[in-house]
Amino acid sequence: MTKAHAEAKALPAEYTRIPARRILVVSPTIRFALGPGDRALVSAGQSVEAGTPIAELTRDAEYVEVGRLPRPGDGNGASAVADAIPTLTWKEPGSDPILPPARDTGRGGGSDRANGTVAKGPGEKPAAPKEPGIERRQPPVPGKWWVGGSDRRGRAPGRREQPRRMAGTLLFEIGGRWRAAAGERHETVGSPTAGVVTEARNGLCVAIKVAGAAIPGAVAGGVPSRGYLDVPRLVDGELRDTALDVGRSGAIVVAGGRVSAEALTRARAMSIRGIVAGSLGQGELRDLAASEARQRSGLHPLPPFGVLGLDGHQRRPIASPILALLAALAGREVAIVTDPPLLVLDDLDVPLPELAPDWVRVRSGPQAGREGRWLGSAGLHRFRAGIHLEAANVRLGDDLTPTVIALADLERFIF
Amino acid sequence: MSRQPRAFFALDFGSATTSAAFVGHAGGRWRLLAHAAAPATTKLDALLLGILDRVQQADPELLEVVSAQQRPKPAALVVDLTRLEAHSTPPRRLAVLAGSRRQRRRLEEVAARAGWLVVGASADADDPVAMSRLVLSAATHAVLLGADSRPAGDERRHLPMLGALVAAAARSRPELAVVLAGGAAVRESDFLEAGEHDRIPDPAQAAAATQAAPPRPAGRGVLLAPGAESGLPAGAALQQVLEGVRARADESRLGVARSVGSLAFVLDRCIEALEVGIDGGLRCRAEPIGPGDRTIVSSHVALAAGSFAPLDPSDEIVDAVLSWSTVAFDRYRLSDRLRDLRISPWGEADGEGALLRLAAAKAAAERLVAATPEISAREMPDILIAAGGVWASTPPSVVALAMADVVRRPGIGRLACDQARLLGPLGTIGDEEERRRIIKDLADDVLLPLGSLILPSGIRQGRSAGRMRVLGESANSDIDLQPGGIWAVELPPGQTAMVEMDFRDTVRLGARGRHFSVEVLGGLGGLFVDLRDIPLRMPDRADQRRATWEAWQRAMWSEIDE
Repeated sequence: MTKAHAEAKALPAEYTRIPARRILVVSPTIRFALGPGDRALVSAGQSVEAGTPIAELTRDAEYVEVGRLPRPGDGNGASAVADAIPTLTWKEPGSDPILPPARDTGRGGGSDRANGTVAKGPGEKPAAPKEPGIERRQPPVPGKWWVGGSDRRGRAPGRREQPRRMAGTLLFEIGGRWRAAAGERHETVGSPTAGVVTEARNGLCVAIKVAGAAIPGAVAGGVPSRGYLDVPRLVDGELRDTALDVGRSGAIVVAGGRVSAEALTRARAMSIRGIVAGSLGQGELRDLAASEARQRSGLHPLPPFGVLGLDGHQRRPIASPILALLAALAGREVAIVTDPPLLVLDDLDVPLPELAPDWVRVRSGPQAGREGRWLGSAGLHRFRAGIHLEAANVRLGDDLTPTVIALADLERFIF
Repeated sequence: MSRQPRAFFALDFGSATTSAAFVGHAGGRWRLLAHAAAPATTKLDALLLGILDRVQQADPELLEVVSAQQRPKPAALVVDLTRLEAHSTPPRRLAVLAGSRRQRRRLEEVAARAGWLVVGASADADDPVAMSRLVLSAATHAVLLGADSRPAGDERRHLPMLGALVAAAARSRPELAVVLAGGAAVRESDFLEAGEHDRIPDPAQAAAATQAAPPRPAGRGVLLAPGAESGLPAGAALQQVLEGVRARADESRLGVARSVGSLAFVLDRCIEALEVGIDGGLRCRAEPIGPGDRTIVSSHVALAAGSFAPLDPSDEIVDAVLSWSTVAFDRYRLSDRLRDLRISPWGEADGEGALLRLAAAKAAAERLVAATPEISAREMPDILIAAGGVWASTPPSVVALAMADVVRRPGIGRLACDQARLLGPLGTIGDEEERRRIIKDLADDVLLPLGSLILPSGIRQGRSAGRMRVLGESANSDIDLQPGGIWAVELPPGQTAMVEMDFRDTVRLGARGRHFSVEVLGGLGGLFVDLRDIPLRMPDRADQRRATWEAWQRAMWSEIDE
């Protein structure tokens, strides 16, 4: 990295006027948006590993009239309802509801419930324990986790009727009575990467400062996901749909310049965890969002699936320095994050590709996607339609003659 | 003995474009000496150095005069000279909550005119969870809870719930700005009642946090504002409050509006400006109350939807761009290109990219015009200014044509362009008198003359409308006025010409009549005579519409096939 910087400094000022594109960002902050009914399972300052449950989402949160909630010290808190933190069993995000049935509330997992930890599933790590009962001792405030149901309000369920258990977050208090956004279906979100929680607020967001580095993208879709990086052989910079088979299950696949809606559907069906492409069309993102919505309403949702477009929406091949970096990372565990769009690497030990100091890429225009070497400034140049723009002479690929390209259409790479 | 340099940089930091102008005091007045625009990613010092190098190469003595130094070094001047800066405010989102749909629509309209990205919900139609979702979203920067000053029953019964909901959200998100408008101000007590114990708990560090962090003053960030019906026109008072909440003090968009007011005063003319940027647009108008009157009446509307590349272009926006485009796109492809235009605003600024940019700019300007019917109802201004970075690389005649396409009112006016983007920075000068003094000197430099526009209405189709003679130093033309066309008569900047028009029928051209004789000023595009319909009637079929646009555009943009 130092060598590259030193070479870059030796370059003339005209070259540095080309917009720079950073290939790697170190320890970026990623965000997970929460809504009413969702709660953070971590707290600011806490370290998390990949897979640590960080939030519990309430699917189909409804408006619930909770009633009066006692404050600590009121003396009538024996039947307080905003206190119980249920035992949570870590499952894949999008899996079955995690709240235990009402009859289990009083037994089993008591220690976990008391200290607010989350039991782990195979291969998953628990969140750091909270101070026992600390959440219980907090007065009811907007955003506080609330658990309740018909049985909690003194109404015994009928013989055939299962007690309706709901959980969510308090919204507001009016006339001494609280309202909440709560639901019966919940799912847990695991951190896609290791890092330190910088912000965790029920109903708002969880933010994590990533421990490793990340490759920035331009657009992302789906949900954050994690898997091993698979860089298959690309034909003309593209990946054939048939290459997305079940053998790549659990992988985040580098799919070339553009990925079709059919390929995304196929990838999801094959339990592939994510796709990284040069570009993502809005049509494909829209289809993916619709598919996500259908999956959420289903009883057996598929594993999380994310897509990342490195350049934007129009078709472009992946830049060769980034492709070289991805190839060097093949086999490692990586994660796709959607806010901001990133491909997150677990550590900072990244094999950086060799890069000529005058290497440039055309990011837009008729030559978009081509790469070459910067030869020098071309000054103010008259382009198509009589538009005058600052330009540079670039030798693209194996071309014998240099091409004049507008500076704004070029990009150079920095680490 | 050294003197104070009499020069400064006027800098407009847009989201996509950084514009820099070098202004110096020479020959007894302030003058624009040089300017340049570059992508916002460009290093500022390199841009300023380039400007000073050009001035030094062209006229080293002038640089010595304005810098008050002998053999000044441009690199040192870049550091030393004063900078007058204006910045774009990033797009910000406002959640509008109301008791009724009717009130919500009124509030949303006012908020949109204040430049906010608006999302809204009303208690009679939306679930409190959905409303909370809007307010708690990290994308929402402020909440406007409004009601009539005397709310009717349908609004009044929802106000306690709405007040409690917004107060709870404000406690959860202390960074959220809250505006209570009109009758909603009675819910102020909801915010004042919030005590320290009502803060969101931080389970792991609750004890430490409550002791370390000072309590937030109850009610901080809550503004009481007039209702959506207050002011003239209705909502103007609330719009002003919302603008203050949204925009930074040195915002370039509002600076343009202030500078246009000063220009109207200085020139004693009615002036209108249409600014289109990547984060929004502005339409403003300023005019003296009467001839010779020193009182200026001005109005402006900043609109987030006035962006040429909106954050998330809806199908309507994509269709609007398609309707202006001379290039055949399918909807998805155009949507992708608009989104990429936002990611890389200077990308592919030539060829097809220039045509797309022009279509997007016209669609944005059209949205601005549609959102300001009160300005459209007024007469053609004396000067119509095109402002904003989107015009930076567009040929002047094409900018003039775009203005004529979008702002269609009968009359005769001058077209100009804020090419150096000086209006924004000059508008940040707080002292009105000082701003007027500088603008008085710079008026001729600020406005790049595009030409004059003659736009009559009431012309009958199907036969010649009459004849027009242009008599000037270099322009002597006799034109048969055929309806449905637009002509550009060469008339260089600085020259004037006398135009005599004889129409067969009575037309409206400011006043109604058949014979008109007016003096017009030249510009880079010349004199434009526009006999097309008001409003423009375009073919329904997309290919015919494209062909029509292309024919008009080609007449003004001969380089288009290069």
